[in-house]
Amino acid sequence: MDAIRVDELCKSYGSVRAVDGMSFGVERGELFGFLGPNGAGKTTTIRSLTGQIRPDSGEITVLGTDPITDPLETRRRVGILPEQGSPPSFLTPREYLEFVGTVRDLEPDRIRENTERWADRLGFQNKLETLHTDLSRGQQQKVMIAQAFVHDPEVVLIDEPLANLDPLVQEQVKRFLVDYAAKGNAVFVSTHNIDVAESICTRVGIVADGAIVAERSLEDGVDDASLLEVFLEHVGDADARDLPATGSIRP
Amino acid sequence: MTSGSPRTDPSATPDSARSSNTGRTSNWLLFVTLLREEWRLHTRLFGGWRFALFPVVIAGLSVAASVALLETGTPAERIGRWGHVLALGFGLYSGTAAFAGSDMLENVFGRLSLVLSTSSTLPLSRKRLLSVFLVKDGLFYALVVVLPMAMAAVPFGELSGSTPVTVLGYWLSLSLVFAFGMAVTVALVAVRSRGVPTVAVLGGLGTGAVAAIATGSAGTVRRLLVPLEAATVDALVLGLVTVIVAVGALATYDPTYGTPTRTASDRFARLSDTLPVGDDALVAKTLLDLARSSGGVWKPFVSAGILLALVAALVGVVDAITGIEPAPGVFFGGVLGLSAFTTYNWLTQFDSLEAYLVYPVSVEAVFRAKRTAFVLVGVPTVGVPYLVAVVWFDATAVDAGAGAMILAGYALYYYGLTVYLAGFSPNEFLFDAVRFATFTAGVALPLVPTLVAGFVVVPPSTTVAVGLALAGIGFAIVGYALSSRAGPRWERRLLER
Repeated sequence: MDAIRVDELCKSYGSVRAVDGMSFGVERGELFGFLGPNGAGKTTTIRSLTGQIRPDSGEITVLGTDPITDPLETRRRVGILPEQGSPPSFLTPREYLEFVGTVRDLEPDRIRENTERWADRLGFQNKLETLHTDLSRGQQQKVMIAQAFVHDPEVVLIDEPLANLDPLVQEQVKRFLVDYAAKGNAVFVSTHNIDVAESICTRVGIVADGAIVAERSLEDGVDDASLLEVFLEHVGDADARDLPATGSIRP
Repeated sequence: MTSGSPRTDPSATPDSARSSNTGRTSNWLLFVTLLREEWRLHTRLFGGWRFALFPVVIAGLSVAASVALLETGTPAERIGRWGHVLALGFGLYSGTAAFAGSDMLENVFGRLSLVLSTSSTLPLSRKRLLSVFLVKDGLFYALVVVLPMAMAAVPFGELSGSTPVTVLGYWLSLSLVFAFGMAVTVALVAVRSRGVPTVAVLGGLGTGAVAAIATGSAGTVRRLLVPLEAATVDALVLGLVTVIVAVGALATYDPTYGTPTRTASDRFARLSDTLPVGDDALVAKTLLDLARSSGGVWKPFVSAGILLALVAALVGVVDAITGIEPAPGVFFGGVLGLSAFTTYNWLTQFDSLEAYLVYPVSVEAVFRAKRTAFVLVGVPTVGVPYLVAVVWFDATAVDAGAGAMILAGYALYYYGLTVYLAGFSPNEFLFDAVRFATFTAGVALPLVPTLVAGFVVVPPSTTVAVGLALAGIGFAIVGYALSSRAGPRWERRLLER
């Protein structure tokens, strides 16, 4: 059974069809890349998957829960790293992770242990007592990554995981995500960065105009075409004007 | 290129002249762009016609208030002076942000104005951007808010061909005082940007006020702040002072100022465990955000204190005009409940409802936690000023008791009304005509009859006191119901956005 299952998902904003018949599945142990240009419907899909918005039609199952009818249960089971950073908070990272752990009903000892582990892993031990609002954007992103994993969820949904991170931490996070999926968890990464998708994902769904237009496994290495070529082949001219970021494209 | 257009030699124009011309052009461009951004911000937030109607609502309220006051025997001059106090208060409004520090200012500028934040990417100085931004703000609000306020002058005399001239004069006078208030605000922000602590700024203001009273200069200050009644030279002096304060403030302002990185020991767990309420984590987060943002837990007290001072002054004015002193318990209880709006505003200033959607908490729980935090912060915030008022004005026990019930009940009602109408953005709805009118009507519903009772039955009889206390309980129930319905209402809006 898929950890995430989406069937014929549709969501419109006025006359704009943001998601238009989206269907896909993500199995446990997969690191699924949700790759597409800006405005393709990626964030709307993640918000639907986590019960943050109500889709117009379609069916969603996440770890056996239905985020449309029971969003709290879905959010209890998964970890979410939103695209936009948290609003200015005057909690310290230690307090913020205590807050997240508490609303996730974690034991205080486990919260403390996970806080130290994540601070150590992402290198913000010396910032644990600094007010969140005074942290750099990169440091804030590290704290947000930690909150998504603080309860060791079986499914994690991440919108642009490497935003604002320095190259060293980017590599650490990439390695961690690969290992986390390999342990039998499902990791759903929404990104417009082809390099990121190509380097860490086991499978990629290419999104355009609110639907998956192509899927490609990156594990078997059977296909000789690069992900960029596949992307360009399936994304229409309009979307191609808003190409996803890639290190291989130079002016 | 050899087109028909004449070739110009750059060296023919002196650098200073070119620079000056470019500066004038870009200042105008900046002004127009900022103005367009301001307009679109409001029309996008509320919808074009709802925002466009806002000045109409203000004008209607101004005329209605003016007529009511004239009918009850208040001289037009006195209404005009109150209008100037309101204009000054409105000008100083963002001054609350100055007292609170840079957090709110940066949030407001950073979030709401893309153009203002371009100083970090374009070769434009932040001081220059700020200057143009303030000029734009001054003109924008002088037209959208102060001009409708000036309609209060329409009923001052018989309608005639000179009425527009009266309104125009009143508007110019109000606008000048409004601009002075804005300039003072900017000066406070500028002084803070030089590292002067808030306490020192407040101390300086207090010392200045005391010195003005002690030296008998209060009358001069009052005359200057009502240009309509003063001689032309006084109005010119106020205009000059405004320009000097504004220019001095911009010269003083340090655009590189940033608050030092702040640290804090872990208080969350202890606070969360101490709270004898449900949703303790959500409540603790709100309280810590309030306590650690600039101005700390004192912000709501300052807001309630300002309200107390204004109402106390109003009591004195009414007493001087009519010879009637209201029942202090009933009067202050009714009015101080209005601080619910500012208290709730402080509790949501650094929060976003959407941000909670990544956690397994319901929107209903978030609103419930805000209500708990509101009660925890609001009780001392209004309780202390109320006690001061009833002791100072020598209220009877019955009056004080009835006032306390009114205060508690109305505060909860005003809170529920605000939350229901505005969700997490109590400030933004002030420019939405429909919501503003609804809020005003909702506030007037219990407040007007209560104030009338406070003036008519002095001191209140036991029967009147019981009736008012029951009204307090009734409105508390309505407020509780409104705040309980706010969660589902705003959750629905979030899900269907």
